[in-house]
Amino acid sequence: MKNQLLFIAVIVLALAMVFGAMGCAPVDQEEEVSPPPDEDVDEDVDEDEEVVEFDGEIKIAVTGPMTNIQGEMMWWGAEMAMNEINEDGGVTIGDETYSVRLIQVETDEIMDPLGAVSAVENVIISEDPHFLIGGFRTEAVMPYTDLVAQDYQKIFVICGAATNELLEGRIDEDYDTWKYLFRVTPIKSTDLVTVTILMLNEVAMAVREELGIEQPKVAILAEALEWNEALVQMAPQIFPTLGLEFVGTFRPSATASDVTTELRGIEASGAQIIYTIFSGPVGIPYGRQWGELEIPAASVGINVEAQKSGYYPATDGFGDYDYTLMTFAQNTEITPETIPFIEKFVDLYGQLPNYNADTYSAVYILTEAAERAGTLDTDAVIVEMEQTDRISAAGRFVFDENHDVTFGPGFVTALGVQWQDGELLGAGWPIEWQPDPENAPDLVVGHEGMVPYQLPPHVLEQWRE
Amino acid sequence: MAVIRMSMRYIRNEILVLPTRVIAVVFVLALLLMPLLTQDMYILRILAIASIFAIFAASWDLLSGFVGQVSFGHALFFGVAAYTTALLNLRLGWPPFVTIPIGALAAVLVGLLVGIPCLRLKGPYLGLATLAFPIMLMGIIFVFPGFFGGELGISGITRLASLRIHEYYIAVVLMLVLCYIMWKITDSKIGIIFHAIREDEIAVRASGINTIKFKLLAFCLSGLFAGIAGGLYTHFLRIAGPSMLAVLMSFQAIIWTIFGGIATIYGAVVGVFILFPTLEVLRAASEYRMLIFALIVLMVLRVMPEGITTFIRDKLERECPRCKVRNAFNRKECRVCYSEMR
Amino acid sequence: MLSDILVYGLMNGAVYAMLAVGFSLIFGAARIINLAHTAFFMLAAYAVFYFGTSMAFHPIIAIPLSIVIVTLIGVFVYYVFMEPIREHETAVLIITVAVALVFQELILIIFGGHYRGVSSIVSGYISPMGIRISYQYLLTIGVVSLSLVAVWLVLMKTRLGVAIRSSAQDREVANLMGMNVARIAAATMAISVGLAAIAGVMVAPLYTLEPHMWLDPLVLVLAIVILGGLGSIKGSFIGAMILAFIEVTVVFTMPGGSFLKVAIALAIMLVILVVRPEGLYGVYMEGER
Repeated sequence: MKNQLLFIAVIVLALAMVFGAMGCAPVDQEEEVSPPPDEDVDEDVDEDEEVVEFDGEIKIAVTGPMTNIQGEMMWWGAEMAMNEINEDGGVTIGDETYSVRLIQVETDEIMDPLGAVSAVENVIISEDPHFLIGGFRTEAVMPYTDLVAQDYQKIFVICGAATNELLEGRIDEDYDTWKYLFRVTPIKSTDLVTVTILMLNEVAMAVREELGIEQPKVAILAEALEWNEALVQMAPQIFPTLGLEFVGTFRPSATASDVTTELRGIEASGAQIIYTIFSGPVGIPYGRQWGELEIPAASVGINVEAQKSGYYPATDGFGDYDYTLMTFAQNTEITPETIPFIEKFVDLYGQLPNYNADTYSAVYILTEAAERAGTLDTDAVIVEMEQTDRISAAGRFVFDENHDVTFGPGFVTALGVQWQDGELLGAGWPIEWQPDPENAPDLVVGHEGMVPYQLPPHVLEQWRE
Repeated sequence: MAVIRMSMRYIRNEILVLPTRVIAVVFVLALLLMPLLTQDMYILRILAIASIFAIFAASWDLLSGFVGQVSFGHALFFGVAAYTTALLNLRLGWPPFVTIPIGALAAVLVGLLVGIPCLRLKGPYLGLATLAFPIMLMGIIFVFPGFFGGELGISGITRLASLRIHEYYIAVVLMLVLCYIMWKITDSKIGIIFHAIREDEIAVRASGINTIKFKLLAFCLSGLFAGIAGGLYTHFLRIAGPSMLAVLMSFQAIIWTIFGGIATIYGAVVGVFILFPTLEVLRAASEYRMLIFALIVLMVLRVMPEGITTFIRDKLERECPRCKVRNAFNRKECRVCYSEMR
Repeated sequence: MLSDILVYGLMNGAVYAMLAVGFSLIFGAARIINLAHTAFFMLAAYAVFYFGTSMAFHPIIAIPLSIVIVTLIGVFVYYVFMEPIREHETAVLIITVAVALVFQELILIIFGGHYRGVSSIVSGYISPMGIRISYQYLLTIGVVSLSLVAVWLVLMKTRLGVAIRSSAQDREVANLMGMNVARIAAATMAISVGLAAIAGVMVAPLYTLEPHMWLDPLVLVLAIVILGGLGSIKGSFIGAMILAFIEVTVVFTMPGGSFLKVAIALAIMLVILVVRPEGLYGVYMEGER
């Protein structure tokens, strides 16, 4: 009898285990809810002595690799916008005021890009957010934009993946399916490339002037990824039109930890300029080894790692004078918003904002569109999103026909930034940029506060000998 | 009436006698009836993906657990099938029920291509050498980014079925059927030879059995099942990406299987159905997610080095000392020969 | 170009050899495929970052401290997680993966997902024949050579070395001869992890520190040890050099495909393995399964 009871008990226990393991557990699972607003918010509320009663809340999910710097930046930028909006009395939609609430979604997409889509679906089901923003690694963003647009018809604002194909070939070909997707930051990858070519031209002029070399030699050092493939193929044809000589392409892996061999090859090719295209971690060993070995070639292009405050210590200071594209810089007044935004961000979080931190603008663009629409209805908000015309830290946001950031003079252009003595400064481009010298010779674009580009001293020294 | 009585008797005599069989039946029923309990898309997604990964893990078990051809590069089969499926679907517009079998056949072919040079390798050499294959394939994917999509992968693929619940049933039923087939294979005459090759290849060869044939067969079978899993996964996620070939993908299959219990097939399934949802639940733990996961694996294997199913089975059941039939742990005498259990 | 290949091949090969020899040692003595091997390497790099950069200890203190601590952690892991279940080889395999993941996640939690750099012990470079070699690399090569010679001496000239080699040849017979095989294995683990730690502290200023930095070298180490022959120190050393030279040659001869260096090295490894299934210097383990 006793044995029989034991037997039944074991089976019941086993049943419970099976059910537990089978996913009854995820039911009561909840995504991490946004932390309470920062201390300074509480203080402000006290000062205002008037606590705003909200009628509801707008839920915005921030999806990103939250343990990594990219996700942190996304979260910080969005959090800053949320706190500002809530302090200012929230969002008025119709007759009601809404507060903004952010939901953090840890997608872990750097380690496990294909698992990220599960995290996104989970938050959509358990929290039913009105909007989603974020997304960093393209291999992860592709499936989760699929899911958000096709299965749940929610607005997703991409804040971190530059790949053209996330919007191109989708919205233009099947508007009704894909209209839910937008991109706020960064500019799409082909535009990024355009900017780096302009920056390269700037460096080439410096080489001509200061080293007296009429036709500088350029070597391409590009991580082996698809997004820069077109450029790597075209570069040998583009360079001669800029008066440059192409001497070779080196393509290390995006995660390589040592590029000394490649640097030796570049040095042997006699290049004066290294044109870098790095979005991955390889940017750091590159910067360090380039500086420590004093490779006699100026470095220009995209190095996403060099856009972060941590780059200087991580390269032990050897990354100084690396010249990379960036969204905004602390010394450069792209718009009147730029410097206050950066200063406040640095104040709150102790780091320079990188392009992921423009989730800040994304939150504003979404809430403002909802305000104009007077409803949180997705289709109505999309119509208003398309009308967006907003001055932000990075420039003037207007969405193009692909729901992408409009690139160009007067809109968002990005800029060149250079590490100069441990400071990341807007430098070289655009100071006197003539986007269209033939048709519009008077159109000159430049930002307040930028400093001139400086050739790295070790390059100057070695080529003057 | 007679049918009912017979089936009742079958249930009582063949299923209820052993706790592990009860658990298995309950598990299968629970999976099949799950959509009645909840229509939550997220839960269905997690269970569908778990089913797909269970096929993948079981296919690893078939090759490595039973035949002893330990492979550290099992993601190769998964990835080859995923990319083949994706390309056929995207470029030629073929539907999933055509692309998945062709993808699986591609994986079989790759199984042969890998199996032949690996025939000479043994033990750890084989395992570590197979690690190289997915990495080499990943290199090829980045050499032809225009064709394979580089780091973007191939997206824009049709979904497995139009409704999530259909996708769920496709994944779950296929998992149950395929795992049952794999289990039967290991129980068949071929399975005995597989076992024997693992234990002593020379002895098998000495008995006049062509071990090369059977080893290649194991590679092909394992590739076939892993390939089906890869194709299903691709159509479920609507993307084939390079991370399907990553080292961690291969390791995952090994972790699941060994956690569940190696050389059992059902151990692989149990491992996936415990660990995969756990990892999802742990998203709530945010940055501690992987740490807790790794600690669970570490502790469980430290306590139950033979895997969780083997451990629980040994606790719940005992072998009759006389007739070797398994009995529930609480029986005083064997259910077949009535000899006393000690 | 030939001199470039020679110099850079030697430089890379030295670091690989350091990692591979340690991996090979513990496999030989205890038949453990320690997939956490490069995680110990990463742990040492982070330890030197913590003591040297965050706590601002002098390198003379920070470096030995890091090596000792990591070695102790290695021995602890061996005694607690590997020794008791040594019979279950597959479980040990996964335990080593889990240990590596635990290290990775702990580092991620403590130091964050940021990329970190450590200052060189001596900064600057020399350029014989126009080839730039940083002092840190020279120092690394020196330390690696010394350590490898030391390990070789220990293995060949001491009682412990004889014990390690005999238990590598036949564990059971060694046990029957009255050796404490478990303790020998623990000592081997200490040497093995110690080598990884030395590599880690030396390489920390050359590479970028990040929580996933153990995965890429792991693949290389696995390739090297089976190329050279599992359990063979000489084989690991030569395997490391071969792979390093292949990699460097790929970069210099086809710069546009330098991301393929690992894939090509692995392909060549496979070809060699097909010809010599037990690696270059491996012992054919007939009696073992």
